[in-house]
Amino acid sequence: MSHPSPARAGLRDGMSVVLGYIPFALALGAALGSSGVDPLTAWLSSPLMISGAAQLVTVQMLGTGAAAAVVVVTALVVNARHVLYSASMASLVPSWGRKDRSVAAYLLADPMFALASARFHSQDPPEVQATHRAYFFAASWTCWAGWLLLTGAGVLLGEALPAALPLDVATALTFLLLLLPTLQSAAARTSAVVGGVVAALTAGLPLGLGLLVATAAGITAGTCVARSNTPAPTPRKDTSHV
Amino acid sequence: MSDLLIIAAVGLGTYAMRAAFLLRRGEAVREQEAPVLQQVAPAVLAAITLPALLAPRGTVSLPDTSASLAAAAACFLIWRHTRRFPNALLAGLVTWWLALAILPGA
Repeated sequence: MSHPSPARAGLRDGMSVVLGYIPFALALGAALGSSGVDPLTAWLSSPLMISGAAQLVTVQMLGTGAAAAVVVVTALVVNARHVLYSASMASLVPSWGRKDRSVAAYLLADPMFALASARFHSQDPPEVQATHRAYFFAASWTCWAGWLLLTGAGVLLGEALPAALPLDVATALTFLLLLLPTLQSAAARTSAVVGGVVAALTAGLPLGLGLLVATAAGITAGTCVARSNTPAPTPRKDTSHV
Repeated sequence: MSDLLIIAAVGLGTYAMRAAFLLRRGEAVREQEAPVLQQVAPAVLAAITLPALLAPRGTVSLPDTSASLAAAAACFLIWRHTRRFPNALLAGLVTWWLALAILPGA
């Protein structure tokens, strides 16, 4: 097995995600373009949000003339999981400076966070941590460019897109492939099983609230397993914070 | 114009949520928070994935659901074997099309 440089590995993983996103991003672009909002304005949601679900909700609500405050609150509820991404990411890149963190926060959408979670660990030694920056930004800017280009192409192609695009299943399989590398412990597998099952049971809730409920349930169950598997906290040499 | 302002407001709010902990300087993540944070990715990703696999075209139906579960199984097997994302995705998509072609009522 050859070991590509971190930037190269990031580029490769980013391209894989873009590949899986092709049908979804094209179809989302088409939906943005036909929403009744000015197409260029609708497409600007791609660089401004980098979040398919929130973009779709926002533009569709704008298209139906919903009140500004309702649109903003709804879209932010749909995106609430990003607060958790922020907390988790902060624990994975403790050595990053403020500038890198500011840019990383802009890029921290679902696939970018998933790639980072699968590759980075909070106990990584410094020499490994040093490679995370190149990997993350290579992967994330690749996903970002792919997202802007593909949603733009979707806006332009619009109705011309074939109805046979395997839209939802390609996206679901992409998320499955982002999920699999994170299942490295019994606790993670518990989180996934509980999160997945609760999400399936609550899929009918409005505003994507089922996703939030399921995420909370999964995290709670996984944390219980993690705590019960770990022996009593070992005494730590570093007691700087209690 | 006001549409763009609303889109920009959602973008700004999303940035604020993504930055919430990344830009909280000087406060390292505490030891007891680490196990919780490690569960975020598997919980969210599974919560996105499973409903999408069960209802690949918006509703649960026998041909669609069995085809997408077969596609997921193929995806998983190829990923476990090769650890290569594009191979696994391709295997899943091919399985999806084959299953839809074979299954009655699709």
